[in-house]
Order: sequence, then C-alpha cells, then structure tokens
Amino acid sequence: MTDASMHDAAPQNRPASLLTADARTRRRKAAETRFRLMGVAAISVGLLALVFLLTSVLGNGFGAFRQTVVEIPITLDEAVLDKSGTRDLEVMKKVTTIGYGKVIQKALEAELANRGIDTSAVKAKDVMGLMSKEAAADLRNMVLADPSLLGQTITFNAFATSRVDGFFKGRVTMESAKLDSNISPEQLQIAQAMHDAGIIETKWNWGFLTMSDSSELRPETAGLGVAILGSAYMMIIVLVLSLPIGVATSIYLEEMAPKNKWTDLIEVNIANLAAVPSIVYGILALALFINFMGLPQSAPIVGGLVLTLMTLPTIIIATRAALKAVPPSIRDAALGVGASKMQSIFHHVLPLAMPGILTGTILGLARALGESAPLLLIGMVAFVKDFPAAPPQGLMQPATALPVQVYQWTQRSDPAFVERASGAIIVLLVFLLLMNAVAIVLRRRFERRW
Amino acid sequence: MNDMRIADRKVSTETAKMTARGVQVYYGENHALKDVDVDILSGTVTAFIGPSGCGKSTFLRCLNRMNDTVASARVLGEIKLDGENIYDKRVDPVTLRARVGMVFQKPNPFPKSIYENVAYGPRIHGLTRNKAELDEVVEMSLKRAALWNEVKDRLDAPGTGLSGGQQQRLCIARAVATSPEVLLMDEPCSALDPIATAQVEELIDELRSQFSVVIVTHSMQQAARVSQRTAFFHLGHLVEYGETGQIFTNPKDPRTESYITGRIG
Amino acid sequence: MSVGLITLIVLGLAVLGFIYGRHRALSAVEGDARHLHSLPSYYGWSVFLFTAVPSLLLMCAWLILQPSIIENRVAALVPEADIAAAGSLNLVMADVRRIAGGIDAMAKEAGLDEAGIDALRADLSDIRGRLAEVGVALGSNVGEPILNAAREFRSLNASMRMAMAVAVIVAAVAGLVFAALRINPALRARNLVEQFVLVLLVSCSMIAVATTVGIIVSLVFESWHFFQLYPAKDFLFSTTWNPKFGGGSSLGIWPLLWGTLYVSFISLIVAAPIGLLAAIYLSEYATPKVRATVKPLLEVLAGIPSIVYGLFALITVGPLLRDWIAVPAGLGDSSSSVMTAGLVMGIMLIPYVSSLSDDIINAVPQAMRDGSFGLGATHSETIKRVVLPAALPGIVGAILLAASRAIGETMIVVMGAGAAAKLSLNPFEAMTTVTVKIVSQLTGDTEFASPETLVAFALGLTLFCFTLALNVLALVIVRKYREQYE
Repeated sequence: MTDASMHDAAPQNRPASLLTADARTRRRKAAETRFRLMGVAAISVGLLALVFLLTSVLGNGFGAFRQTVVEIPITLDEAVLDKSGTRDLEVMKKVTTIGYGKVIQKALEAELANRGIDTSAVKAKDVMGLMSKEAAADLRNMVLADPSLLGQTITFNAFATSRVDGFFKGRVTMESAKLDSNISPEQLQIAQAMHDAGIIETKWNWGFLTMSDSSELRPETAGLGVAILGSAYMMIIVLVLSLPIGVATSIYLEEMAPKNKWTDLIEVNIANLAAVPSIVYGILALALFINFMGLPQSAPIVGGLVLTLMTLPTIIIATRAALKAVPPSIRDAALGVGASKMQSIFHHVLPLAMPGILTGTILGLARALGESAPLLLIGMVAFVKDFPAAPPQGLMQPATALPVQVYQWTQRSDPAFVERASGAIIVLLVFLLLMNAVAIVLRRRFERRW
Repeated sequence: MNDMRIADRKVSTETAKMTARGVQVYYGENHALKDVDVDILSGTVTAFIGPSGCGKSTFLRCLNRMNDTVASARVLGEIKLDGENIYDKRVDPVTLRARVGMVFQKPNPFPKSIYENVAYGPRIHGLTRNKAELDEVVEMSLKRAALWNEVKDRLDAPGTGLSGGQQQRLCIARAVATSPEVLLMDEPCSALDPIATAQVEELIDELRSQFSVVIVTHSMQQAARVSQRTAFFHLGHLVEYGETGQIFTNPKDPRTESYITGRIG
Repeated sequence: MSVGLITLIVLGLAVLGFIYGRHRALSAVEGDARHLHSLPSYYGWSVFLFTAVPSLLLMCAWLILQPSIIENRVAALVPEADIAAAGSLNLVMADVRRIAGGIDAMAKEAGLDEAGIDALRADLSDIRGRLAEVGVALGSNVGEPILNAAREFRSLNASMRMAMAVAVIVAAVAGLVFAALRINPALRARNLVEQFVLVLLVSCSMIAVATTVGIIVSLVFESWHFFQLYPAKDFLFSTTWNPKFGGGSSLGIWPLLWGTLYVSFISLIVAAPIGLLAAIYLSEYATPKVRATVKPLLEVLAGIPSIVYGLFALITVGPLLRDWIAVPAGLGDSSSSVMTAGLVMGIMLIPYVSSLSDDIINAVPQAMRDGSFGLGATHSETIKRVVLPAALPGIVGAILLAASRAIGETMIVVMGAGAAAKLSLNPFEAMTTVTVKIVSQLTGDTEFASPETLVAFALGLTLFCFTLALNVLALVIVRKYREQYE
C-alpha cells in the first residue's frame, strides 16, 4: 500500500544529539521568548494605564476635600444689622449682603491690624477679595437663623477664594498670579502672612459632599450635595423598577417560556439592547418621557426610568445565568412532591438563585450610577442650586447626578473646577467600589457549587 | 477469545530505541506511576495494556515529555532516547517531540486544510527547502497513512470535514510527516468504528518497518493483533513486560492473568 | 389627589381584599383549610391582584395619555397668529405650560382663589411681571388667548386628575368586589393566581421588546420630521457640517462619520493588539495565581465609568500629547484631538477585547494544542498557527463588539475629541463625532422643531443602525464559533 522506498532515514538537518540545540531551534526558542514577553508587555501596558488613570484622577481630586478657610472674630454690631433693635426678622431681612459684607470687611481689617499684617500694598477691596463672595451671605443666613447672636463677638469661618485656596494647594503661584486678573501677588503675600499668623488654614471640607453647586465665580462653595441626592433618587428608582421587572422577565424566559420564534425574538432583543449605545437611550428618553409623556426635564424620575431601561438587559442576563445555575434536580424534587411549576420556582429556585441575582443587580446599578451620556440629553446638565424635596415630589424636581456634575464642572473655565471634578470622581469611584465590594462579598458568601 | 491470534510475524529485537529506568510520576500529591522500567525496541510495535487509570497513558506521555504541558505533573527517574536522557536540562522538548511523535485518542485535526495539517510539522521544523519538497513530503506521508487515494483530489478541503477514521489517519500522516523515530499512539482507535479500526491497525503494522511504535490500548485483542511486545500496567505499577505471545498465552504474574481472562479491568 | 396617594389607597384596598378573601375562603369551610382547593392565602392573593393590578395599570395608561390629550385640546385654543409669531406650536405650548405653572405658584403665594384666577386679565394686570415674581420668566408679554389657553390647561389638568383618581379607585373597588364574590371552596385560586402571575411575567418580558420598539419608533419618527425640513440628500452626501441658529445650516453627516470612524480606528489599534496579547498570555501562559489577580484588575478598566476616562483625556492625556508630541512635531496645538480620544478609548476597550478573546481561546479544545505539541511545536507556534486560527472568528467577533462600543461611546469623545467638524487626516487635530453632535444639538437652546435639533435624531438613527449591524454580525459570528466546539 505504501511506497517504502520513498522513506529515508531522519532528515539531514536534524541535530544528531538531543543535548545540543541547532541554530534553528535556538531561533525558535528566541521567538518563543519574544512572544511571551509581548504578552507580558501587553498586560503591563493595561495595568500601567489603569494605575496612571487612577493616580492622575485621584492626585487631582484629593484637593477638593480640603478647603482653605479664613477664621476671624466678628463683632455683630446691632446698630448696623438691626437698627430697629426689635429682632423682627422681616426688618432684619432689609439688611442685604452688602451690609454684612461691610461688617466682615471691618472685622477683617481690624484683625489684620491687630496681628500687625501690613495691607498697604493693596486696596481695601482686594483684602476682602481673599474671601469668598459667599461669606457675606453665609453670615447673613447665620444671623437670620439665630438673631440672638447680635451684639456678640463670634468666630466666623469664611471660605477663602479659590485662588487663595489654590495658592495653599500649590495650584496658584506668584508667577501665575501676575497674569491673573482675579488675584495679585501682593494679595497672595497678605494671604501668606495671614497663614503664618494662623488666620488662614486649610482644613478638611465636609461641605464638598453636602453643599450644592455654585456659580462659575465661586468654585470654593461648589459641592456635590444635589448630585449625590439626585444619583441616590435615581438609583432607588432603578432598583425598585429593574429588579422586579428583570427577575420577572428572566423567570418567564428561563423557566416558563415555550421555545418558539417569539421568545427567540425577545432573547435576541435583550442581547442587542445590552449593546445599544447609552446615548441612544438618552434620545429615547427625550422623545418618549419628556416630549411625549410630558415629564419634567432634569427630573430624577426621567433619569431613573432611562437608567432602568438601560440596566434591565444586564440584570436579565445575570438573573438568567443565576437561574440556570440552579440544578434541574431541585425543580424535579419540588414538582415530585406535587408543587405547581410556579411554586417550585418561587419557593425553591428563586431563593437559591437570589445571591446571583442580587450580585448582578448591584453590578447593574453600579453601571447605571456611572452613566452620564443619556442624562445629558434629558436636561440633567442644568445648573441646579436647590436641593430636591423628599420623594415622591422630589422625584419630579430638578436635580443632577454625580457623573453629570463632573461633566458640568469640566465645562467651566476656572481651573478650581477641575479639582472639584476630580474630587467628584473620587466620590463616584468610592461608591462604585463599595457596590462592587458588596457584590463580591455576596458572591463569596453565598456562592454554591452544585 | 478466538480472535486473539498472536501475530506470528518476525520480531526484530536488536536494539533498544528508548530505555526507561525507575520512572515515577506525580500529579500533585497523587503518585501516578511507580518505578517503571521499560525498553522500547526499534522496529517493533510495543503495546501498553491495563485497566483505566493504571498509568499506561501517563507513561506514554512521559516518553515525549507531553506531561510538561500539565502544570502539576512531576517526572522522576531516567528515560533515554538513543542513550541520551530526555529529561536532561539541556534537552528542548520541542526537539525531542520532533523525534518522538504522538497520535492521540481522539482524532484532532487542526481546523485547516488537509494539506496544511500534514505540512504543519515539516514547516515548523524546517524540514523542507521549497514547496516541491514539501508537496512530496505531504504526498508521501498521506500515502504512508493510507489516505492518499481518498483525499488526493481535495487536499484543500478542511481536515475536520473527513470521517472519523480518515481524521485519525490524517493525524497519523501528520505525525509521520515529521519523520519521527518513535511514534506514540494513545488509544488511537478508541473513537473509531470497527472498519476504521481495522484500517488503522493495518497501518500500524506497516509503520513498524520505519519506526518504533508504542501503542496504548484498552483492547487486548488489539494489542494481540498489532504488537510484538506488550507491557501490562496495573495501579501505577508495571506488572509484566515481554513478548506479546508470552504475555497472552503464558503470563507470569497472576494479575496479568486475571486481567487477560477478564477478571479485573 | 396625588399619584402617590392614589397608589397608597389602591394598595390599601388590595391588602384589605387579601385579608377579606382569605377570611372568606376559610369561613366558607369553617376554618378547615383541607376542604379548600388551594391554600387560603391564594384566595387572598387572588383578590389582591384583581384589586391592585388592573387599577394601577389604568393609572399608568392614564398618566401616559393625559398630557397629549390635554395638549391637543388646549392647542386648539391657541390662535394661528400666535403660533406664527412664536415659530412653532411647540414653543407656544411650552409657554402655556409655564404660565399655567406660574399661575399655580401665584395662587399659592398670593392666596388667589379660583375666582381670582378667572378674573386675571392679560391686558389689565401685568401678568408677565407677576409671573416673574414667582420665578417664571417669560420671553414676551402674555396675550389674552395664551392666558386663556393656560387657564384651560390648568382646569383640564385638574379635572383630568380628579377623573383619574375616581376612575382608578372605582376600578380597584370593582376588582375587589368581583374577585371577592368569586370566592368559594371549589374556586381554583392557585391556578387563578398563577395564571395572573404568568400574565404579569409575560408583560414584564414585553418591556424589553417595547424598549426596542420605542427606540426605533422615536428615532424613525423624529428623523422623518427632520427629513421633512432638511433634504436627506444633503444630510447623506454633504461634506460640511455647519449648523446655524438662523437657519440655512449645512448638516452633512460625513465629517461626523469620519471623526467617529477615525477615533474608533485608533482606539481599536490600541485595544485590539493589547487586549488580544493579554488574553493569550492569560489563557496560555499565566499561572492560575497570576491569572486570578491580573484578570480582575484588567476588568476594572471596564468597570470604570466613561466619564472618568473623559476626565482623564481632558486633564491628563490631552495636554500630555499636545505638549510632548503634537507641538514639537508641529502637528497642531489642540489638547483635544482624535488621538487623545482614541488612545483613552483604546484603554477602556482593552478588557472588552481581552475578556471575550480569553473565553474564546479557552474554548479551543485542548486536543488541538496537544496535537501541535505532540508534533514538536513550541508554545508560541502552537498559539500562532493552531489556536489563533481556530479562534479567529470568535476574536473577530470580540473586536467587532469593541468597535460597536467605540462608535457609540459618548463621554470620552465629548471631553477628548473636540467639537470641530472636519475631514482631516491629522490625528492631532480636534475633530468631532456623531455622538458629540447628538449631545450638542440636543442640549443647546435651539428650538426643538428646528432641523438643527432634529438632526440629532437622524444622527441617532445612523448610530443605532451602525452599532446594531456590528452587534448582530458579532453575535452571529461568535455563536457560530461556539457551536463549532460544542
């Protein structure tokens, strides 16, 4: 059958001994090493990119949690702030922030003189310019909230302006101040002197998490309060809607549905929905929820609904995987003792699949929390200063969301907002980390191998 | 048991192609192979038989260091090919495997054309200088595997499209194309139907003229049909090794006898 | 009556129904549950579901339909002249809604009663000024017809709301009574409840289909509006993108498509080799320990929201590329560029490529590798000549999925690629993409019914078609591939 004559002994170019490698083998070994190194290099690039990304954002953002404040004693002069002396709030409201500004200015000048800080190099207005424009309003609110403060001397903490804040964080230098219309090197020298005298210091700033957004000119008072609340509202809506709907859909598709064209269509549908770009969901929300159904713009309810639609495919896919992982023997056992199909699912399969479902839900929520593109289209980029009320009315009131707040801050010209945006990212990442940690713990705790 | 006729062909027992001394294999904590000594003779078909999990496949995979691809495997002892220890640090398993080829239990043609499947070995080892030589090697290997006539008109068709028996012969052709000195076959017929099995067995006998062939098999009939020497493994021990005729007709060890008569296995 | 209150009332009724149904079933058999067809709580549930579900569904439908019905009724009150003056009916209606809201606020603040509101006369009192006091700023003075429309809007809204409350509660009570009367020991309550639950499950699974239908309908519908106002020929074939507020815009899609494809191309140039090599290393070479640490770490890249990548592009990568490459090489001085967005997006896509490729490579049977090793191939030869060719379709699928992600990605390009629509080859120039323009056209202050805004829907439709085609293609390829080895 075979032609044995065609076969000769081992080819000539094969090395005689196993112990010596010929040139070709060495080349092949080198190629092997090179290929391996390419793999290592690819992984290193990926991991380095991750590290670089995180350090760059974190490095920029930590500053946002610290804030430079000016701390001076202020005597709240009754003669200026409540001329009538009646403590009548309606009368006291007549004194505007300008009036309070003057009180602060007087107190600041007195304190500077007291500490022996020479302010002759700059105008009186510019000394005031070291403080946030928000200071007067803060003081006014404080007094109106508690008129008994009148006549007393209190220690007042005012935010320094973002430039002074940046100076103590290293973002603003004497050189940059020369070119800056908002601050001069002379002002910074005074600030330095105040710092040395202990009137100015940089402290931990809870306000970043609790205050609402501020105007372009006052980055020092911008906070994430509204954004965190808005995001929380939306997450609640997403959880309340997508978990039951997702679980119901999965149960139907995985356990009940007959295998036919129709269920096939639903399945293909869900697979595709998972890959539809998020911005398309934004367009849907704009057209359907806002233009057609007339829901208000910028409202958490609309954001929550669109994020629900986006999260559903993720939850459905995770839930189906969890249901699939429950072995059929459990179903058979339940059916075998006379339970109905529905009972076997709700009494046995679903509880066993619950850890997997919850893990998938949390991961879906985490994704929704970081999503920004669709929220831009439903008007969540609007400037929102007021906190929304408690639900349910609050769900219809304008709010913003963490990732959108980041975007909004990056669109502003003052570099202090970049620090705020990075700080907001840290907050966002901390939330995501927490959610993922919960998901991992859930999985570890309850994971079952059948 | 009347199909257990012993091959009464001439047995050439001149030289030992491979020698194994004191081979131990561990998979993690599991001691899979205990102190095995075997000589593989050139120009001979050697069969390894024994019940499942007895270590026969493990030992086969030691002979061309395929166990290196299993992370947890550890091989102790000494295996020599033409007097050189194949577990020597200086030995590149790649060169070793070019000389000790292997055919697997399930036909595993690459998802490439028939031609490319056979040309794979010569290409990676640089055995041919040009396309004409390569064509020649491919044709020769397919002829040796008794597959040429069936596939010569469709060398560009995918190898995975062949029938099971054809696929296994393609894998044999693929192994032959590298011109190995020893050909290891790990239950090559277990996934084949009786007709394909007969074809492959016939082929094994043909191959004996150029290679040492080592075949692991579950079927004692097959061992009896194709091999000149047989080794019986049991629970990781080499129980008995000798001429096939002697093992099947006059086993020395009671365990061998029990296995051959069907009492263990 | 607010929606929340109605819901509470309905749920309250349902709970009462549950208790009553259970009790009624039990008392019918004198407390001996064995004589019932189903467990007592199923009788309760049957009442609960019949009470709550239809009425709440009715409420949802009502809430969805009410605005458009009111809109139609009120729109009829607005004279043609006002529509012409404002530019479109939509704008007038927006004013009407705001005035109505303002009147509410005035009513609350100044204590106006209904009669007072009726007495408001546009020509007599300064409505615009009074509305401004309660925080509703209007662009122009309010005319009598508009004020009337707003008043009509308010009253219709109020009466529809009332009608809804009545209808919903009546539906709930009717459901309760109907279900409660049906209760007798022979009633197959469990089957009934299960039928009901099954219907609920099916309708939930319809939501996925409805979402797709919603996406397609809204995109096609508004795109159709757009093509009424702007010739499709110009949109599809023009190479200039230059929207103007006053009209006469050029809205050619090509500069945007070019930017999109260019950015995606660069991102894939980054992500495909890195992701693939990483996947190969992890599945073929890495020890289980290395794999167990590196794989999740790489996947962190996929879990980071795209806004973070956007910020990274904006504040770090953009300036870095500009100062170290673009400016020294004389290629431009913009920190947002195709390269910036492409690089950062590439990093984001690494895990998309690597995870799926990893799965695919692992699905290649070990027998293939053994066959190659058995012939004396090195590991890299085995990978390059056997594993990768076998896995190729799956890997192509993975890269297509990554490409679809790249095309649809928004935040990175919004923050990293720039806003200038141009056709250029220089990757260090700012260019713009389809997604960037969707965002900018829909978040601007342009009037909704103008082609400048509606073009966003046509862009969205284009984007949807592109990504859908890529996804379907990728899914088909991957599915085929998996079948091959199953």
